[in-house]
Amino acid sequence: MRPPIPPIPPRQSQYGIDPSLVKRRVSELPGMTSVLLKELFPDLPEVIYPGEQGVAAVRKATEEALQKVDMSMIKPEHSVNILASHHGFTLLGGEPYAEMLKTLKDVIQARTGCKNIRLRAGVGLRFRETEEYIKRYGLDKHFEGKAIGVAPIDEGIPIETEIGTLYGIKKIYDADWIVHAHNSDVREVHFHRQVDRAVKPFGMSYARIETRSTYHQNLGPRAANFTARAIFDSPFVQSKFAFASFLTVAPNGIMGVDADNDLYALNDRITILGCRYYGKMMTLFGEIDECIAALDFPCPVVYVFAAGVIYANFAGANTDLYDLDMPLPAYTWYTESFYGKRGRPLLQEIPPLNPAIKMCVHNYAWTGYPSAFFSEHIPTVVVGQEQAELFNRDPQNLTYMKHAVVAETTETAMEFAYKATGTRKVLIFDGAIGGINLSEPLAEFLLKKAPQVNERVENELLPKWLRQRGVDLSVLRKCAS
Amino acid sequence: MKVVNLVAAVKAEKCRGCKTCERVCPVLAIKVVDRKAVVDADRCRGCAACEQRCPDYAITMIKREQPVVVRVDVGAVDYVKIEELCRRAKLHPEQIICYCTATRAEEVAAAILQGARSPEDVSFQTGARTGCKVECIQPILRLLEAAGIEPSPPKGGWQWYGRTPTVWEIPEEVKKKYASRGFYFEEDIKLLDRVVAAPLQGRSDT
Ligand code: SF4
Ligand code: SF4
Repeated sequence: MRPPIPPIPPRQSQYGIDPSLVKRRVSELPGMTSVLLKELFPDLPEVIYPGEQGVAAVRKATEEALQKVDMSMIKPEHSVNILASHHGFTLLGGEPYAEMLKTLKDVIQARTGCKNIRLRAGVGLRFRETEEYIKRYGLDKHFEGKAIGVAPIDEGIPIETEIGTLYGIKKIYDADWIVHAHNSDVREVHFHRQVDRAVKPFGMSYARIETRSTYHQNLGPRAANFTARAIFDSPFVQSKFAFASFLTVAPNGIMGVDADNDLYALNDRITILGCRYYGKMMTLFGEIDECIAALDFPCPVVYVFAAGVIYANFAGANTDLYDLDMPLPAYTWYTESFYGKRGRPLLQEIPPLNPAIKMCVHNYAWTGYPSAFFSEHIPTVVVGQEQAELFNRDPQNLTYMKHAVVAETTETAMEFAYKATGTRKVLIFDGAIGGINLSEPLAEFLLKKAPQVNERVENELLPKWLRQRGVDLSVLRKCAS
Repeated sequence: MKVVNLVAAVKAEKCRGCKTCERVCPVLAIKVVDRKAVVDADRCRGCAACEQRCPDYAITMIKREQPVVVRVDVGAVDYVKIEELCRRAKLHPEQIICYCTATRAEEVAAAILQGARSPEDVSFQTGARTGCKVECIQPILRLLEAAGIEPSPPKGGWQWYGRTPTVWEIPEEVKKKYASRGFYFEEDIKLLDRVVAAPLQGRSDT
């Protein structure tokens, strides 16, 4: 068996414990190994990052992708806002996304003569998160002081849309042109269901609370993403939209950069990538019959990664998240809100959180996202009193620790989990690049299951998923050939 | 319901009186007086919005020695009225409308039936919207509207701007236009209608 892959190191952040308190990573414990994603699915794409050239490959790919983009609308006297989101900085250490943002500025400036180029970086529920990344990756310097983080409670502006008034963050739109700089990593499939994934930030990280609440409370689990399309299609946003540039991401790394003046054309391309490559990983994880989930990554509980799949999606892997005929995954905010006062779902068909997760060992994960639903429904052991205390101080997680227990060390937490669950299968969400860190019995299990999952996704599920999203199957055939 | 265990504290020497904190506070507990921000500790619900947005890092969140339990007693209001109000807003009385504090629609309805007249009143009385500060503004506005109340946003503030559309209000032509793109409007209407009509699990608040 292979040795474990070095996990993403802990990060200094106001949302997590001090990195010095993360004394042990779960992958360092005895019995842990790794599998390469290419061993599981040999047809995963070739990647440019990680690779020999490092982030230089991302710069080159961005420059090449931008060659086919029309920038003639941007005049030297104009202003441009490059719009970014926190999520990109959590991918493969964050450098590739930061490099794409820097390259975008350099190319726009060189091609158009425009000098007033700003970075506006939106967030999820940790309002200073992108502020931290701007400093960490030297973006403030690169953008000559014109790089700021923006939050959904900042001053807003109304945006008239096909369905009525929605609201954006004023500072997102305070330039002549906007450039949408994002990535194709799927992350919250439980929310967006891979419908208009490329458009989502317009209803989320670029949007005010009114809009985000529309998404999560007013429209329903499969209509929600229309908020983003409504905003993007509005005459106001269309009058400012210049082009989009995306890191194209697969579970095993960065495939390249895709840029386009037509966001919907780009959206169709990434829908195929998302369904095909991430769909396979999620379907494979859905096969796991029992395991201990170990969280060990600098992100909130729901967002820790293993093979490009976040814990929130693993918690719903007992159902097919891509199948739009299935209304409510085991976890979405709609699902969470539909649990009644007796702690049971209000509708019988609401599936439970993935029963294969016998226990969660929370070795290292951040606050800043309401996560008590997970500790309430999945037995959870949190490592270290300091981490427990941090959750007790987080206004979004005041009851997380009410349902969890604390272990002093990673070792004792895992021993407890082994004893209490009786399983030796461990899946580690630590962002290992190019592979998955896990225990030997689980590695054997996944290697055995992968070939049949591959076949099922290619022949049965993928055509259905794309049909449900109105994506032209000839595009898929062209990609395949 | 929320157990408020934090309170905002201003470092006066760092404050430049920009009023950002005043504009984002969901319960109007912080105000700039003589160019310095001042916290009303009794009103503060410990949400950290001010601390997270102060451009000068002048605010810290400190632990309260005595946590304050903030809740509206659902049992003090005729439950038939609560149910009526929630269902008019197309919400199930027991559904959670604020994920961070697990506040249910019934508690917000009870607050409104007992006199809350704005999202600020609701947040102050129930603690809802004092966790992430983002996701629960719409159900609060829907419940207020269903009670015939039309609140105005705090003057000069950024707390909230307005109620937005629900799936029941999506125009027919929009539904038709996007039917093949993976937006399941009709199906979600049916699903949400079933949630709204689902039986109650328990009337007891204890
Ligand atoms: S946001 Fe900060 S600097 Fe501005 S008034 Fe409030 S405390 Fe003072
Ligand atoms: S309620 Fe929130 S925004 Fe208002 S003073 Fe307290 S911590 Fe600050």
